[in-house]
Amino acid sequence: MACIPVIDEASCLAHGDCEALAPDVFRIEDVATVIGTAPLEQLVSIAEACPASAISVIDEATGEQLYP
Amino acid sequence: MSCPDADLLIAGGGLAAQRCCETLRRLGFDGRIVVLCEEPSTPYDRPPLSKSVLIDEREPEGLSFRPASWYEEHDVELLLGVAAAELDLAERTIVLSERASAAGPGGRRDAGRMRFKELLIATGSRPRRLQGIPVGGAVHELRTHEDALLLRAALRERDGRLAILGAGLIGMEVAAAARALGREVTLIEAAETPLARVLPPALGSWIAYLHRLHGVDVRLATAVERVSLQEGSARLELSDASVLDAAGVLVAVGTSPATEWLASAGLGPGAIYTDAGGRTELPGVYAAGDAACFPDPFLKLPLPSQHWEAAVRQGVAVARSIVGLPPAPPAPSMFWSDQHGHRIQFVGHATPDCEIELDGDPATGESFAAWIARAGRPQGALLVDRPQSLPAARARIAGAEEPSVSSGEKSSDNNNHSKRGALWPAYR
Repeated sequence: MACIPVIDEASCLAHGDCEALAPDVFRIEDVATVIGTAPLEQLVSIAEACPASAISVIDEATGEQLYP
Repeated sequence: MSCPDADLLIAGGGLAAQRCCETLRRLGFDGRIVVLCEEPSTPYDRPPLSKSVLIDEREPEGLSFRPASWYEEHDVELLLGVAAAELDLAERTIVLSERASAAGPGGRRDAGRMRFKELLIATGSRPRRLQGIPVGGAVHELRTHEDALLLRAALRERDGRLAILGAGLIGMEVAAAARALGREVTLIEAAETPLARVLPPALGSWIAYLHRLHGVDVRLATAVERVSLQEGSARLELSDASVLDAAGVLVAVGTSPATEWLASAGLGPGAIYTDAGGRTELPGVYAAGDAACFPDPFLKLPLPSQHWEAAVRQGVAVARSIVGLPPAPPAPSMFWSDQHGHRIQFVGHATPDCEIELDGDPATGESFAAWIARAGRPQGALLVDRPQSLPAARARIAGAEEPSVSSGEKSSDNNNHSKRGALWPAYR
């Protein structure tokens, strides 16, 4: 199952924790942008670390929200 | 009148200044931007100063928002070590001063003047001090990277108890860091519960409980009457008649806006009032961050906020005003803290007459959410190790403010949180 992270731009405050944890997946400018993906388990732990809780994770094929 | 030296002059080189610059350049603003950074380093992130810098010895370079090359690439001029000393409104000029080691520690000398077209007041705040407790030697405060290095060295190199005056976020985060480093800690707070200005007593009591669980000696409703400093240590006389010997003292009793330099222009003292776009009463003069007081979009009154998130949103709001855009849609205010391995997030507000409903049991050490409402309307939430609940909490609070949401819809939303515990008993 391929999953991708999605940034809620209205909530993202560009703390930068996601980029620090996964520089291949997130890039921080004035908000975070998604530049790659990673296994679900890793994406969920990054989403949990986001101080603004601005990251959700969806199933790329079905669009189903896997986190939160 | 001669040309201005800067199209936008930013007094202060912290988070609000940084986000204002980033947003302006992204929005295509091509004027000359000059930033006065009082500290000797490029703009950096302060939250790690009370957390990872103390525990993991993270180094200064790691805290910079951007590498030095970013400022060149984006044509943002940083004047490091240069502060705003005075605002001359008639001339639209700032009198500058710079650090001068020849003038002794903390000494400053005149560094000329700079004319501006528009000005952003972003000089932040500085720690409040207590009468009779001079900072220096065994007595610390924590605001700058320099302060953090001194505190870190003291935590690692000296044994003995750390006495922390003030159970706000800084005091509590340092308490957690000091415990992680194996130090004995006493946390002294004049109010009856920690974070009393923002958290209702029942929830503030939980934070006190968490610290006690991790071995912090928490003294609430206790004031420090006298501090006598001996060679490398301190003796504190407390209002409960007890005496405490400590190897180090951290004064963490809040901050006050660093706006004294605006007195001659008729602004301040205290935070500078603005509209939702960061405009002060003076044309072409904006304020953001700890030095500013924005109107709260939900409480609909001026509300100063010293939180990280407010500085971000306000820096962005000023950038949007400068290029003629309206402020971004309002979001409920939020702060977070990491203490004793727990992620603590607070969103919205809590008024003294609020109702609290718990989802989860705080006594178990597991995650929980405390939903805060007033007259049945969601107002705020405290989330402990529940980051996944923050989007829902935001939506509930923002939704409660919108008259278009019917009460029926709101009550069905409330039913989603069916598992509720009893109100957390107030700990003393």
